[in-house]
Amino acid sequence: MSELEKNVEIEIRDLSVTFKDNSGNDVQALTAVNLDIYKGEFISLLGPSGCGKTTLLRCISDLQEPTDGTVRIDGMTPKEIRLKQKFGFVFQQPVLFDWRTVKKNVELPLEIMYESKAERAKRADEMLELVGLQNFANHYPKQLSGGMQQRVNIARAFGSWPELLLMDEPFSALDEFTKEKLHEDLLRIWRQTNKTIIFVTHNIQEAVFLSDRICVLSPHPGRLSAIVDVDLPRPRTLEMKDTQHFNDLVLKVRNSFEGGSV
Amino acid sequence: MAQKRKRPKSLYHRAKDNQQFQAAMTVVLPVFLGMVILVLWQTQTLHQIFHTDTFTLPLIDRIGTIFIENRAKIWENVKATMTVALIGLVLGSLLGYLIAILAAFFPKMGTGGLSVIGAFASIPVVALAPVMNNWTKGVSSDANTRSMVAKILVVMLIAAANMGLNAYRGLTELKPYALDLMAVYAAKRRTVFQKLQLPNSVPYIFVALKVSVPASIMTTIVSEYFAEYIIGVGRQIRENIVLAQYSTAWAYIATACLLGIVSYVILMVLQKILLRNYH
Repeated sequence: MSELEKNVEIEIRDLSVTFKDNSGNDVQALTAVNLDIYKGEFISLLGPSGCGKTTLLRCISDLQEPTDGTVRIDGMTPKEIRLKQKFGFVFQQPVLFDWRTVKKNVELPLEIMYESKAERAKRADEMLELVGLQNFANHYPKQLSGGMQQRVNIARAFGSWPELLLMDEPFSALDEFTKEKLHEDLLRIWRQTNKTIIFVTHNIQEAVFLSDRICVLSPHPGRLSAIVDVDLPRPRTLEMKDTQHFNDLVLKVRNSFEGGSV
Repeated sequence: MAQKRKRPKSLYHRAKDNQQFQAAMTVVLPVFLGMVILVLWQTQTLHQIFHTDTFTLPLIDRIGTIFIENRAKIWENVKATMTVALIGLVLGSLLGYLIAILAAFFPKMGTGGLSVIGAFASIPVVALAPVMNNWTKGVSSDANTRSMVAKILVVMLIAAANMGLNAYRGLTELKPYALDLMAVYAAKRRTVFQKLQLPNSVPYIFVALKVSVPASIMTTIVSEYFAEYIIGVGRQIRENIVLAQYSTAWAYIATACLLGIVSYVILMVLQKILLRNYH
C-alpha cells in the first residue's frame, strides 16, 4: 500500500483494560495502547497468551468496554458501528448452529439484518463458492470436518459484507495443511472484497505471511511493544516462506518482543 | 516373507462386528427374556419360586380373558387416566417452559422460582395428592370434575418442574461465543431468543419429556388412589385388590404397563421426526 492511500479508519488512544481476577486483584490486560489502523489493510495483533490481543479485538468490536481510553472508527464509537452492523467476526471456534444447514448458518447475520430471502440465498451461495463449499450447502455442521466448519465461519463473516473483519485466532485449532490452504483462501477473498482485516494470532509465521503490518504485544502487563511493517510483495505465495527475506522478517518480529525472545 | 494365513474369525467375533445382528439383538434379547418370564408364569414355576398360588398371582390366560371380557370398562378407565395425564403433562410442560424463559430473561428472580418449583416437585406424590384434594374442594360441585382438577394439579407440578429445569439449561447452556456472535451483528434480545436460545432448547425439551411422559402416567395412577371420585386405571387396581379380585387387578396392572410403553414409543417416534435436524 503506498503512503498516499493510507486513510486512518480506526484510532485507538490510550486504551487500557483492567480485569479483576478470582481473588479480587486488578489485572492489567492492556495498558495505554495507541494505534492507527488504515482502511483496507491486513493488520495482525501478535503475541503470547495473556498479552491482551483478544481483549484489544473485543474492545474494537464493542464486545468489551475499555476501562480507560477511546476507540474511534471513522469518527464513531465501536458501539455505533456495531449497531450499524458493520462488523464481521470470526471466532476461535466455528460457532455454527447445529440445527441449521451450512447455508442457513451463512445466512444467519443476513437474517438478523432483515435481508430479503432471495438476497440471503444469493449471497450465501456466493460466499460458499468463495470458500469452496458450494457442494455442502445442505449439510449440517456436524457432518463437516474442523477445517470445513472454519470455512463456513469465514463465509458467514464475509457474507454480511462487513466494513471491518475481525478474526480471533481463527486457524489455531487446525492442522498445518488445512491452515496453509485457508491462508491462501483468506488472502484471495480479502483481495476480492477489499475489507480491513484485524487478525489476532500467536503464530509469528502466520502473521508475517498474511499481514501488511504486525502489532507485537507483550504480556504482564499487556502492552503494544512494536509495529513491524511487512514489505513482502502481494499476492503472497507459499514459496515466499522459504525465502531469506521471510525469515529475516520472522526474526525481526521475534526480536521485537520486549524482554527478548519469547 | 510369506503372508501369514488369516485365521477365520470365530463366530463370537463375527457376531460382535455385525451391526445388523447387534441391532436385532437389542430387540430380540429383551423380548426373549419377557417370553421366558411369561412361560415361567404360565407354567406356575414362578408360583413355586415365590411360594404363592394362582389366586393371588393369576395365570396369564386368566388375566387375558378378564382383560378381553372387561375391555369396555378398561377403555373407560384408560380414557379417564390418559385425559388427566395428558392435560397435566401439556399444561405443566408449558408452565415449566414459561418459567424457564422467565428465568433465562431475569436470572435473579427466575432461578429462585426454579428452585422453589424443584423443591415442590420433590414432595412425594402420596403426600401431594391428598393436599391437592383438600385444596380443590370448592372448585366444582361435581365430584368427578373436582377429582380431575386435583389429579391434574399434581401431574402439572411434576411435569412443570421437570420441564422448567431442563428447558432452563437448554435456553442458557449455549456454545461458547454464540452470544458474542449475536452481539457482533447487533441482534435484538428477541432475535437472540428466537434464533439461538429457542432452537438450542429443543433437544432439552425431549430430555424432559422422556422423564415426564412416563412420570405423568405414574403420577396420575398414584393420584387416583387418593381421589374422591372412583375412576382410572390406578384406582381400579386398588379397588380390585381390596375386593380380592386379583385377576381383574392384574388386568389393570397390565393396562398401566401398556399405557407407559405405548406413550413412550409415541414420544420416541415424535423425537425421531422433530429432531432429525439436530445432529
